Amino acid sequence: MPVVDVDPDELRDLTGHEDKDDDQLKTDLFDLGLEFEGWTEDDEMQLEFAPDRLDRLSVEGIARSLRYHYGDDRGVYIPSVNDADWTIAVEGQPEGRPYVTGAIVRGLDLDDAALESLIQLQEKLHATMGRKRSKGAIGIHDLTMLKGSPATDDGRANKSVTYTSVAPAEDSFVPLDSDGEMTPAEVLDQHPTGETYADLVNDFDRYPAIYDDLGLFSFPPVINGRRTEVTTDSRDLFIELTGTDQWTVDHMLNIVLYALSARGGQIERVEVDYDDDAPGEYAGQTLSRPDFAVRSKTVTHDRIETILGVDVDEGTVIDCAERAGLDATAVDDGAAYDVEVPPYRVDVLHPLDVVDDIGRAFGFNDLDPRYPEASTVGGRHERSRLEDAARDALVGLGFEDLLNFHMINAEENFERMGLADPREDGATDAVGAVDPVTIREPYSEDYTMLRTWALPSLLMVLERNTHRAYPQDIAEIGLAAHTDDTENTGVAEHRTVSGALARTDASYENVKGRLQAVADAFGKTLETPPTDHPTFIDGRTAEIVLDGDSVGVLGEVHPKVLVEHDLELPVAAFEFRLDALE
Amino acid sequence: MKLPHAQLAVLETASADEDRPITEVAEQADLKPEAATRAAFELEDEGLVAVSEETDESVTVTDEGETYADAGLPELRLYKAALEAGAETEPVSLGELLGAAGLDGPAVDIALANFARKGYGDVDSGDVSADADADPATDDERLALERLAAEETGGEDIAASVLDQLESRGLVDRSASTIRYVQLTDDGVTALMGGVEAAETVDQLTPEMLTSGEWEDVEFAEYNVEADAEQFQGGREHILRQTANRVKDVLVGMGFQEMEGPHADAQFWINDCLFMPQDHPARTHWDQFALETPDEIGSLPDDLVENVRSAHKEGVGEDGEGYHSPWTEETASRLDLRGHTTSLSMRYLSGHQVGELEPPQRYFSVEKVYRNDTLDPTHLLEFFQIEGWVMAEDLSVRDLFGTFTEFYEQFGITDLEFKPHYNPYTEPSFELFGTHPETGDIVEVGNSGIFREEVLEPLGVDCDVMAWGLSLERLLMLMYGFEDIRDVHGTLCDLELLRDVEVVY
Repeated sequence: MPVVDVDPDELRDLTGHEDKDDDQLKTDLFDLGLEFEGWTEDDEMQLEFAPDRLDRLSVEGIARSLRYHYGDDRGVYIPSVNDADWTIAVEGQPEGRPYVTGAIVRGLDLDDAALESLIQLQEKLHATMGRKRSKGAIGIHDLTMLKGSPATDDGRANKSVTYTSVAPAEDSFVPLDSDGEMTPAEVLDQHPTGETYADLVNDFDRYPAIYDDLGLFSFPPVINGRRTEVTTDSRDLFIELTGTDQWTVDHMLNIVLYALSARGGQIERVEVDYDDDAPGEYAGQTLSRPDFAVRSKTVTHDRIETILGVDVDEGTVIDCAERAGLDATAVDDGAAYDVEVPPYRVDVLHPLDVVDDIGRAFGFNDLDPRYPEASTVGGRHERSRLEDAARDALVGLGFEDLLNFHMINAEENFERMGLADPREDGATDAVGAVDPVTIREPYSEDYTMLRTWALPSLLMVLERNTHRAYPQDIAEIGLAAHTDDTENTGVAEHRTVSGALARTDASYENVKGRLQAVADAFGKTLETPPTDHPTFIDGRTAEIVLDGDSVGVLGEVHPKVLVEHDLELPVAAFEFRLDALE
Repeated sequence: MKLPHAQLAVLETASADEDRPITEVAEQADLKPEAATRAAFELEDEGLVAVSEETDESVTVTDEGETYADAGLPELRLYKAALEAGAETEPVSLGELLGAAGLDGPAVDIALANFARKGYGDVDSGDVSADADADPATDDERLALERLAAEETGGEDIAASVLDQLESRGLVDRSASTIRYVQLTDDGVTALMGGVEAAETVDQLTPEMLTSGEWEDVEFAEYNVEADAEQFQGGREHILRQTANRVKDVLVGMGFQEMEGPHADAQFWINDCLFMPQDHPARTHWDQFALETPDEIGSLPDDLVENVRSAHKEGVGEDGEGYHSPWTEETASRLDLRGHTTSLSMRYLSGHQVGELEPPQRYFSVEKVYRNDTLDPTHLLEFFQIEGWVMAEDLSVRDLFGTFTEFYEQFGITDLEFKPHYNPYTEPSFELFGTHPETGDIVEVGNSGIFREEVLEPLGVDCDVMAWGLSLERLLMLMYGFEDIRDVHGTLCDLELLRDVEVVY
């Protein structure tokens, strides 16, 4: 979940509530869903929240939400936007990053705190909506350091920069945090930021690049040039975003612009002029940005009442919407509302999201719980009943019921059991010797596959409990799996029943006796024709045949397997499929 | 008169004229001392004997004491060596004397500590001077130790202060024991004169006694019914299974049916049906285990794939918007170990598991899920998720609150609070917080919400469905107070902990 660091003094300043002490702020923030996690070293509040309201990734955005919460602001607010003076010409840009947007903000007076907040917002947006800059990346520049030539084409604004592409070593510029000229290839190879983001462009023949009249000044999404670096002296900013989706970069831009507007900046439009041959879906089009169009969702009064479970009047709905920063207008004689959603709300996809906003403003926690009237009949799944019945039978025979992980590694599942890995040595008839379901890029070498049988888990438990009192008669009923082309998932999953007697008198006979009791309890005829299995001692191993079907194996565990597990007493064991007891 | 064998033996062995120690009586009557004692008390209850007791202190010499009784106390050996080296006139270096006295190890400290205490001389800066007037021949501790070791005395004629000193030096052990005496009363004598027979006692009731009727004439030997019995280890259902079954009982009682379905499943069922965009950080931050073999599901229902794709790309309903994220069937077809059992809910709601469902319905599962997390005391790579949902016309958040309030109350978790929250697949969504039954802390107990239309419409569901999820292990830890879940679940489990844990019902 996103965490933002917020200076409480700035929050007081931006909300105009100097009187709120820290505790009151924390309570108000919690009501909005922002949880106080602690203080930073710089005495800033760390606030955590669910990743839907990305417009709250800055102190300015949080202050805006608080002002609505306090009732200081109501309804949709759209900042004013001046006409365009600049154009972003788009031609020859990389196909892998075809979209760009931008805007200008003038008249800022940024102090250190405001600049820090802007940088934090940029980073947090990169991490969330921008998908670590792959989907969208923001570049912020000091406008006074840009030189744009007057455009000649009709309809273009006066000055322009160009979003295009550059061969890896075709051109050079001085990147941020560097003193020397570097080519884009050198940035990826040698600059710390370049190394971090190299993966985003490594597949490209030509890299994304933004030029003005003086040359290359930005290498998105990797790094800006030093020439246009923003400082507290910067008053006018040029903001550009590049990415793989126009909607995403446009809305990341909106969130940044609302924050800068709250700092007193005047927004100015930028024309985004896609060349006729430019890649992407906007070739030949000119987009006027920012796009501050409000979206409208129609929600019925009835839906609001059914979700809340209480009757509300029209005035309450409109009031709640306005306190959520929305504008609601009753239509159809009050049967529905057209609700306008401001351009920084990237989370509203459906009218239900508006109902949620209205519910939060109304106060969900004030609603009384009630038990739904709908009447249904409960019951257990047959498989789960069978599993429980088998478990009861085993427990009645003195087995301690265990619960082990379904994930294991090949060494435990095969080698340490004396079993050949069927992927290397071919499948055999032996129980457990089937192709395992394996995990891609496993996090831990202990858990690389699903177990093909459960006896390895039981022996691992015995191995780790040699200091505990014997006898240790243990059993488990749980999942085992193997690959199977005849299954839609390619995985055959089944419940397996495994038991082991670890005691000085453990023998084939006394494990068979217990197995016989289970078979009898489920009305099954048990036969035990001799077989061999590398986990067990030859001549003391048998197939488990229930009602004529071969479903498992039982026997005395081979000394080499016991020694491998550091066991100093005999173990007799069985394993069979649970569905054999059906 | 008939008496049990032991009582009769004690009665016959006891004297009417003197108190006889019970140990002596037992020996003569060929009884174990405790059996004789028990019989004596029983006879006393009958008024046939009188039992009296006195406390006896015994002194035994320890192994160390035996050694010193033999070789001499260390301080005396030091004194002897000092005299031989002329230390009564001129101080002699300690090192030299230790060698001569044959002292090393802990005996050195013992020698030095007692040498000065008992006035045999002084030790100063490593030099020893001896007092010529001291007389080892009259050393109380030496004399007492030698006499005790030679068993010339039981310690009764040795001054208490000397015994205290020897005990504090660890050279003797003193222990107090109670000696009981038994003497016949007049009634006892009368009884004996009237004739007393032994009742036959048996240890074990046998089938033969029952069939022959012999049991009517026997007396059963008494057991020490307070003695510890042999430890017995019975089978036991795993506590997490017990907890799961309790949850299942509660949910079945609330009208929920149990779901069942694959652990390895397509991302389609695990994520895409849940309206989680394919590039959403949640799909990576949940860190599901992706499968290598096999890596792709054989087939997905075509109509459903198109519905889900459309919901992701175009949204649902007139005003609906989709995500601005890529969506491919290839990604949807990849196999994972399920990161939540909501994949089962999707399969059931789609009608592909048990056929089309008409409202109202309630379903649940308590099954394993897999997350690529770091294994620590509160996190496992595999754990059980309690998943439940209710399908009905027009469900409100009040119905959701009411259902969960009922459920958690069954586990003693009350004062449930609902914090508005965000999930990609529910709106509204609520995190559930409850009061811990033992500590009173506010703890998170689940996540819930009403499924979005972007989830339900592609599945063909046109009424409301509310759902919630909770980790079973979390509930278990709340109920049992475990601190490390690894002791309970998995191959690192501790059998003793599982054997000894108290039953919760």
